[in-house]
Amino acid sequence: MRKILIIALREYRAAVKTKSFIVGLILVPVLMGGSMAAFMIFKDNVDTDDLKIAVIDHSQLVREALQERARLRNETEIFDKENGEKIKPAYILEFIQPDSINPFQQKLDLSNRVRSGELHAFVEIGPSILHPDSIQENTMIRYYSEHAFMDDVRYWFSDPVNNHIRQLRLNEMDLAPEETRDLFYWINVEGMGLVEVNKKTGDMQEAEKTNELQSFLVPYFMVLLMFMLVMMSAIPLLTAVMEEKMERIAEVLLASVTPFQFMLGKILGSISISLTIAAIYVAGAILTVHQMDMGDMIPYRILPWFFAFLILFVIMTGSVMAALGSACNDNKDAQNLQFPAMLPVILPLFILVPVMQNPTGNLSTWLSLFPPFTPTLMLVRLATPVTIPAWQPYAGLIVVVLFTILSVWIGGRIFRTGILLQGQKPTLANLISYALKG
Amino acid sequence: MDIIELRQVTKNFGSLTAVDDLDLKVPMGTIYGFIGPNGSGKTTTIRMIMNILYPDQGTILLFGTRQRNQRLDHVGYLPEERGLYKKMKVYDVLKFHGELKNGKNLKQEITYWLRKFDLTAWTDKKVEALSKGMAQKLQFIATVIDRPQVIILDEPFSGLDPVNSEILRETLLELQKSGATIIFSTHDMNMAEKMCDYIFMIHKGKKVLDGTLNDIQNQYGSDTIRIQTELGAGALEELKGIEKISDFGQVQEIRLNTQADSQTILAEIMKKSRVLRFEITRPSLHDIFIRIAAPERKEDNHA
Repeated sequence: MRKILIIALREYRAAVKTKSFIVGLILVPVLMGGSMAAFMIFKDNVDTDDLKIAVIDHSQLVREALQERARLRNETEIFDKENGEKIKPAYILEFIQPDSINPFQQKLDLSNRVRSGELHAFVEIGPSILHPDSIQENTMIRYYSEHAFMDDVRYWFSDPVNNHIRQLRLNEMDLAPEETRDLFYWINVEGMGLVEVNKKTGDMQEAEKTNELQSFLVPYFMVLLMFMLVMMSAIPLLTAVMEEKMERIAEVLLASVTPFQFMLGKILGSISISLTIAAIYVAGAILTVHQMDMGDMIPYRILPWFFAFLILFVIMTGSVMAALGSACNDNKDAQNLQFPAMLPVILPLFILVPVMQNPTGNLSTWLSLFPPFTPTLMLVRLATPVTIPAWQPYAGLIVVVLFTILSVWIGGRIFRTGILLQGQKPTLANLISYALKG
Repeated sequence: MDIIELRQVTKNFGSLTAVDDLDLKVPMGTIYGFIGPNGSGKTTTIRMIMNILYPDQGTILLFGTRQRNQRLDHVGYLPEERGLYKKMKVYDVLKFHGELKNGKNLKQEITYWLRKFDLTAWTDKKVEALSKGMAQKLQFIATVIDRPQVIILDEPFSGLDPVNSEILRETLLELQKSGATIIFSTHDMNMAEKMCDYIFMIHKGKKVLDGTLNDIQNQYGSDTIRIQTELGAGALEELKGIEKISDFGQVQEIRLNTQADSQTILAEIMKKSRVLRFEITRPSLHDIFIRIAAPERKEDNHA
């Protein structure tokens, strides 16, 4: 054990003392936080130049309504309420008489005006919007611009046109607005947790309103953190071991330690690295969340599971990576093996959303008990507000422990043979042969 | 007491038998030289002693026992192709290897050895900053930093300049005097002759020589004449009773047939040229090596 610790300590020091480690440690939260901050800062910081939009109103019904809504917006909604500074562009509407003789030429001309920058866009309102007929095109509002996707102006047009048409329809029915108020009252379905009994007091406890942000953000953050930690600590073992083999460092060390001690030392070093990063990030996240007065979002009950699964995941992945690294002879071998070896780490990320949506479903349950996926998917299931059967995390832990022991045992056998063999390609047949013969 | 003993050890790599039914005993406190052509099985034998490779058959005893993992802490090993962590500092490398071997008084030992090999100024430098020769010296220090009872060195002199070779030779003799048993493989026959108490030669996986230099040379008898004439190799042409002539330029070595008479040959040569030197001697280790390893590559055959 002493020798394993000496190797682990060297690995740990070699990793954490590098500038790249420190830079990476700081850079990840800075980039993540920075991108969020940038989004918050720049989301309202848009171009404030006025936007001129041409409108061809075939219906001849909504001109006044649009003009009135635009005037209201331009007078009240585009200025900062505190300092009166203009923070959004004004919408200047230019109504064009429809050309019934050559409508395509008219639209081409308007398109060219958009291209030249004179117009931001132009809108074509169909003739039958009040009473839709069988020709779908007649009932449409078409928005023409260079970037119609995610254009705020496009979304702005919908409300004033629809509200006005609705009013016209009500007028035709001779209904007063106050009589129809309830008609358009939309009722949302509120997401709630379950009612439960307080274990300490025995009192009934009201169900809590589901926090959409918490339901998504907490599991997502934890899985992302675990993925990142495995990528930073266990995955690099493949190239590290390959380099030690090729640079003949391994043979020198094998005079002092057994191959198994060597491999375990390296894996233990990886665990130490991942725990260091995890401790820093988790502590940082807890502090930040408390600062934001959102402390109740922190799932303290899951943290022990997080660390338990993290350690097992690093051992499991690390032993596979070390074994594969020992069988490689050059960077090309390592590159060829790295992606398939990373699949068990990456694949669960693709099924995160369905598992988060239905954590107690059959698919989620069985996939989370498949050992290579268990650390990620069981953690996701634990992190969602839905309560999963109490035995399942323990069952997951047991299968992962068993699978990890198997991975280390097989990895050790491959490592023992591969680390000294030169010139043998790391084919599946060779790897199986090393594992069987030891 | 034999500190290392190999009993009928065989190691195969696929269809190739790298070491074949090898018996070997290394007495405590001796310097044992392993010689043999490239690919003959020296490194495989050493790796099996170090428990890095496992024999397919046979037994290897270290300090008289088969339980070798614990015992390996008392063995220093310098492999032929050596590597060090390039980003580590010289001091840290030695401390790391010393700790792995459970070495005592490491700080003093590191200071002593760095001074001895003139590396003190490099103590806090990274390994990547060292020259190849310096790295090789550092590697040797890492091998002996814990003062092991057995030191196994695979080609320790290769790549070293004459000055450093001399320092290494002296150091090995000092370590032997302090009680260490030393095994080293080499292609430098001269070094093996001068340093080794015992010489073991392996060829195509089989033991072909094992014993003191004297014993080995006695096996071949005094069948060699070292001669220097004014005519050089020209004076040796068309002589009868000669097995082989090795021409070193200024000096020639003649190996005689078993029936040949050295005095008759001397008389024949004197008819052709003035003889400056004539010495009847036993074959050198180099010559014995060549006789075993490359009989088909005779320079000249007068049989």
